[in-house]
Amino acid sequence: MKKKRLASLLTAAAMVGSLAACGGGDSSSTATSPAGDGGATTAAETVAAAEGQTVMKWSIWDKDLTLYYQPLIEEFEKQNPDLKIEMVDLGSSDYQTVLGTQLTGSGSDFDIVTIKDVPGYTTLVNKGVLEPLDEFIANDGVDLGAYKGLTDQILVDGKLYELPFRSDFWVVYYNKDVFDAAGAAYPTNDMTFDEYDALARQLTVDTPGQEVYGAHYHTWRSAVQLFGILDGKNTILDGSYDFLKPYYEMVLAEQEDGVCQDYATLKTSNLHYSGAFSQGNVAMMNMGTWFLSTLAEKIKSGEYTDCANWGIVKYPHAQGVEPGSTLATITALSIPANAPHKEDAWKFVKFVCGEEGAEILASTGNIPALMTDDIAGMISAMEGFPEDEDSKEALQTANLYLEMPVSNKSSEIEIVLNEAHDNIMTGNSTIDEGIADMNEKVGAVLAQ
Amino acid sequence: MGKTKTMDPAAVQKKLQVLEPRLEELLRQAEAETDPKKKLNLGRQADRTRDKIRQAKTGERFSRQTKRDMVAYSFIAPNFIGFAVFTLGPVIFAFVLAFLRWDGNNAMEFAGLGNFALMFGNKRFLAALRNTVVYCIATVPFTLAAALALAVLLNQKIRGRNFFRTVSFFPYVASLVAVAAVWNMLFSPAKSGPINMLLYNLGVAAKSLPKWSADKDWVMFTVVLFSVWKNMGYYMVIYLAGLQGINGELYEACGLDGANTWQRFWYITLPQLRPTTFFVTIILTINCFKVYDIVYMLAGGNTGVLNESAIVLVYHIYEEAFRNWNLGYASACAMVLFLMVLAITLVQFRGEKKYAN
Repeated sequence: MKKKRLASLLTAAAMVGSLAACGGGDSSSTATSPAGDGGATTAAETVAAAEGQTVMKWSIWDKDLTLYYQPLIEEFEKQNPDLKIEMVDLGSSDYQTVLGTQLTGSGSDFDIVTIKDVPGYTTLVNKGVLEPLDEFIANDGVDLGAYKGLTDQILVDGKLYELPFRSDFWVVYYNKDVFDAAGAAYPTNDMTFDEYDALARQLTVDTPGQEVYGAHYHTWRSAVQLFGILDGKNTILDGSYDFLKPYYEMVLAEQEDGVCQDYATLKTSNLHYSGAFSQGNVAMMNMGTWFLSTLAEKIKSGEYTDCANWGIVKYPHAQGVEPGSTLATITALSIPANAPHKEDAWKFVKFVCGEEGAEILASTGNIPALMTDDIAGMISAMEGFPEDEDSKEALQTANLYLEMPVSNKSSEIEIVLNEAHDNIMTGNSTIDEGIADMNEKVGAVLAQ
Repeated sequence: MGKTKTMDPAAVQKKLQVLEPRLEELLRQAEAETDPKKKLNLGRQADRTRDKIRQAKTGERFSRQTKRDMVAYSFIAPNFIGFAVFTLGPVIFAFVLAFLRWDGNNAMEFAGLGNFALMFGNKRFLAALRNTVVYCIATVPFTLAAALALAVLLNQKIRGRNFFRTVSFFPYVASLVAVAAVWNMLFSPAKSGPINMLLYNLGVAAKSLPKWSADKDWVMFTVVLFSVWKNMGYYMVIYLAGLQGINGELYEACGLDGANTWQRFWYITLPQLRPTTFFVTIILTINCFKVYDIVYMLAGGNTGVLNESAIVLVYHIYEEAFRNWNLGYASACAMVLFLMVLAITLVQFRGEKKYAN
């Protein structure tokens, strides 16, 4: 055991060493994250454990910006007086990398770890550092049906290594003031991509100095590329990406005509999507539901004044596809294979991912993975949530597709797709070249 | 631990019987030897033998020489232990790892030269290698020229000299993150970006304005420009030190001979600065091979993923090791980087003998 720990320490040190002591290289990498995240500081909450209490360590990010950690812990500790939860903040920008390093070897003593995304999940499963949860689930008779099929999408070799507690999905945010000023009708929950495109163009004003952008796409590849998978006919792991072409054509044409802001400028200026939407000159922006609580809160605190009248609608859909199909991304809890208190950790996982946890999440404006009508009602009843019926209706989804499905090559594929997306959007390559590039490189990764 | 150990007279006698004749033999040889080098060597051996005889007689645990050595080792120990644990060990481990396949958790597998073979089929590695070399070749001469020019200018007695020296040195100490953000703002890809606005007004067509760090053809140019600006101040200081070390009599003498400013520079300043230039070139080249942060900050964007047009070796190593967890492959790449830096260092060792004064 000791040897292994030493070995992993050495590797980490070797890698850092071979990064050739480039002073500040590492520290600068954390600084690209949007302002206000907790940074990569490993700040452990010191918890005074009373006599006979078991203290469990839980890895998280953005401790001060996330509203639900504390209420979850308080409620759990109230129900289990013999257990204490200690949060360890690993920072948000490179959370999965730091977590991967922490769990490498056997040196960590985390009992519960939060898994931020699917590539990070598969990486950890491949490394063999997570405990399968199937036995716990079977023993306690947890009903996985309540997760609307999400848990089926994250099986690895038939085993489940994480249980989702948050499931964010993408919707279209719109600024009602912009629509009112243009005298246009608000978007609806049943829009095809053509209707959406036409609406965006209708709202665009290109007078220099008073530009209004009909649409806004954040620089993430998901924001544009994944329009293509919503018809359910293709997945992002297929190795053949010709189906993306019409969507890239639509967005590039919008970019050309000034309907949305130029990708290259957004990229180099590192403009955050919240900054873009809050300027009040963006009519519609597609973004995940994680933005709901931020938006409501910043408007309440008076920080955002130019987008105070907002609403959400369902994602646009391809011709002939049921509305409400959208992208989902899940945040889940896992138990590391060498966690010191697995049984107790499972209690916490079950609590957070179960109905009680879901209610606490919903009360803070976050979308729990366990979604019932009651819980949807709690979210739309949240202070600051838009009051129109369409916005409430938008929380009901039909099909959820993971932004990145489970694959043991997902982190390699992610790099290829990001790169091709960047090349297409900056105009460094044509759509056809970019797609050919994806086909070739993902094919090579899959063939390995 | 006692200072002496209990002596067994018989054993002592036995030792002395061997050592004493050896000492005599050595002294005799030393007497007869004519080559001073060998003579010195024999003398040393004799001293050591004498020391052993004394040790055998007095029964001390350590000879004087060993004690002296141990004191010396104890002085370097604090530093060396740190070096061994945190640098030497990991470096050796990385070498071993280059021939293995490992993800940090599962069992290691022997890969032989597989990692190296993989490297030369990997487009991202080849792009990284190309970009790193291009970056070096472009950055080194421009930084040298800029630093030298600044140093020569700011070595004159001009008004506000200290102010300008500070201004030139400022980019080097300024936070990379902050100045990179400013650069990306100046070199904004939009038509309304300050630099592009300037180019537009100078008559460049709106369609052909470069997108700077978002443009696959201009990204390396932007990075090189930024590096030169950021680092020239530091090398300027080294050059200033070199300039101040030049003997003023040389300039007086050539002034008497009627040399003009250019000739003074070309025949006095430049040759006198040769050791400095050599030093700066080597350090700069090695630093260029290790570049990572500048490229990441300028061209990384929101996702922090570098494209093939901008990726550099160190980034590739990081990405393979900690994103994809191919630790063996990443170590193999690190070894390639190491060999390149080693080659430059060897050149430096050779040149040092020639140029260093």
